[in-house]
Amino acid sequence: MEVFAFFVGGILPYITVVLFIFGMGYRFYVWAKTPQPGRMTLFPAPDSLAGGVLAESLFFPSLFKGDKILWLFAWIFHATLALVFLGHIRVFTALIDRMLLAFGMNPEGIDVMSATAGGVAGVLLLTTGLLLLVRRISVRRVRDISGIPDFSVMILLIAIIVTGDLMRFGTHFDLEQTRVWTVSLLTFSPIVPPNGGFILHAFLAMILIIYIPYSKILHFGGIFFTQALVRRR
Amino acid sequence: MSEETMQSGTNSGTTFPKMTRETQKAPLDPESIIKAIRAIDDGPKVLKLYMEMCARCGTCAAQCPVYFGDSARKYNPVERSDLIRSIYKKYCTTSGKLLGGLVGARDYREGELEEWAEHFYTCTGCRRCASFCPMGIDNSVITRKGRAILDAAGITPETMSKVVQISLDTGNTDGATPEAFRAAIDFLEEEMKDEHGIDIKIPVDCEGVEYFYVPPSGDVLVNPEATTGVAKVFFVLGMQDKWTMSSRYFDGANYGLFTGSDADMKADNKPYIEEAKRLGCKVLFMGECGHAYRIMKMIMEPAKWWGDLPFKIINCMEFTAEKIKSGKLQFDKSKNPQPVTYHDPCNFGRSCNIVDEPRIILEASCQDFREMFPNRGENWCCGGGGGLSAMDDIIDFRMNIAGKKKMEQIRATGAKYVAAACSNCKRQLSQLMEHYKEDIAVGGVHDMLSRAILVNGKAADRVSYEA
Ligand code: HEM
Ligand code: SF4
Ligand code: SF4
Repeated sequence: MEVFAFFVGGILPYITVVLFIFGMGYRFYVWAKTPQPGRMTLFPAPDSLAGGVLAESLFFPSLFKGDKILWLFAWIFHATLALVFLGHIRVFTALIDRMLLAFGMNPEGIDVMSATAGGVAGVLLLTTGLLLLVRRISVRRVRDISGIPDFSVMILLIAIIVTGDLMRFGTHFDLEQTRVWTVSLLTFSPIVPPNGGFILHAFLAMILIIYIPYSKILHFGGIFFTQALVRRR
Repeated sequence: MSEETMQSGTNSGTTFPKMTRETQKAPLDPESIIKAIRAIDDGPKVLKLYMEMCARCGTCAAQCPVYFGDSARKYNPVERSDLIRSIYKKYCTTSGKLLGGLVGARDYREGELEEWAEHFYTCTGCRRCASFCPMGIDNSVITRKGRAILDAAGITPETMSKVVQISLDTGNTDGATPEAFRAAIDFLEEEMKDEHGIDIKIPVDCEGVEYFYVPPSGDVLVNPEATTGVAKVFFVLGMQDKWTMSSRYFDGANYGLFTGSDADMKADNKPYIEEAKRLGCKVLFMGECGHAYRIMKMIMEPAKWWGDLPFKIINCMEFTAEKIKSGKLQFDKSKNPQPVTYHDPCNFGRSCNIVDEPRIILEASCQDFREMFPNRGENWCCGGGGGLSAMDDIIDFRMNIAGKKKMEQIRATGAKYVAAACSNCKRQLSQLMEHYKEDIAVGGVHDMLSRAILVNGKAADRVSYEA
């Protein structure tokens, strides 16, 4: 256990950063240099390319036209995913807390706000994630095209959400531990938080991050390239 | 998945025609196939992106005319695209090399190419899936790659490869000689004389004029009213001597787009560009043919196949609509009293944004123009896209599966005439009407204009348009 905890808290973060940045950087480089001679625009095209691509990545309007139920699940799922991602900044640094304190909030207020927003997001993410999974199993045209990678990435994500939710709704988790951990990682002298639940959560999350550039979640990033090609006027 | 789901679907009785392999161009060995798939890494960019980006959400299937017609597994766009994607993953991605089947990567199966033919020739290339895909994935690009691999191995459906060969040999997909073309033009001029009592010319092989008109050959030889419509527009505008056709190059149709062969597509395109240069035209004036216009405007020109061009490329509907808007053309709508609807050919609507122009023309020349829903960029394919409408050997598939949604859409309008600015759509739609025993006429856009436009203050004097 000791060894595993040290691996996850002290070594894996570096591996993750390197593999993710290398993986995504390599993708972007290759995509940018691959030639595209003809025009692939789909009409009606938006007036502004940047606006169109941004709209597609923020609100999924094509999906909205194509499948309203999936849009609802997927949009809430992704929007909460983005919120949770932002929320995690607090896990790694006290900066946000200090800012809020400077704006006159008291520490209890911050905790209540974070608990409410984080709690709601945690539950929403789990619910929509499960709904997407149920849809994948129950709708034949989706089930027919689903394989091990599709289920495993969703199950991995749900495992991350559950372990995360357990920390939030279970026994109190002191964020001071992870903030110390962050600083220790940056100074290359890792101090691993002594918390089994956290170690598991962090392990799964880093596996997912490593997996992104090499799996279908590559659509995070790739979507800007594909959409740019079909929305260009 | 069980055998049953593999076979399920309501209409799957269709048998697919045997492919001919008389013109085997390349060996069928697995190495060549794999090499062709590896080449995806060199582009085009869209194709490369589509290899790894699919979220497998099933939205494309929900919006595909073929899958709508029959929800058999083999008609699911992702299933079809995976034929190539899974092999690509195996040879060109880290995860595929390391994890194989766990990430959906697989080896090429010896002999599977024969099966590909059915899969890649049951996608109409309509790009409707792409309009709704959250990632902007256009499955027709992968379909075309599949057809290209088949073509290189000499496994293109016979009907298709014949059309390509005829067009490369004669300059048009009907194999008509310049003499036959001139005879057809003479006939059209006589028709117009009967209709209006005056000489309305269709200039042929005139050098140094502004507009070089390139319709699909069908609009001269099969449904020629579109061409008389164009001739009347020029006449009314007093521009009779400002345009021409070519007796050798009068067919924009280019089946290289459909067989996936870039070499054939370019070879078919080249003489048209040369003819336009030889004639010294200022405007390459494309007719009512969706894929011909798309190849010129969205593929050939931006990709600079032949460098910078000394002429502009426009579509005849843009020209006519512009003249209607500026009040230069008048109509007697009572000549077209029946309810008329417009089918947006996928290549014009989704791919080229020619959507308002045909409507302007039809609204000006018909009493009762009705929209079909959904329309424009979201319109359903007629079921004959991707060159399939030329394949009578898969007519069951086209009628009962690919064209099913279109038939429903047209019925719902209550129209008695469906206009489509595309020879391929027109062929498929006419066959649909026959198959479903509907008394609905099918024709072009300038056809309706031809019947109603005022020439010297008078519309055509003709009672019946039955052929
Ligand atoms: C910003 C970073 C993004 C991340 C980390 C992300 C992650 C994910 C994940 C984990 C899934 C679940 C796969 C599954 O259901 O099996 C997913 C699915 C999906 N994502 Fe994203 N995504 C991102 C951005 C986007 C964007 C910008 C779009 C825009 C259209 C999008 C559209 C979808 C869709 C449609 C699904 C399918 C849902 C399903 O599988 O049922 N994602 N994404
Ligand atoms: S709609 Fe797009 S992302 Fe979804 S399954 Fe189809 S191709 Fe893949
Ligand atoms: S291009 Fe058209 S026929 Fe082909 S998969 Fe997409 S929607 Fe279906």
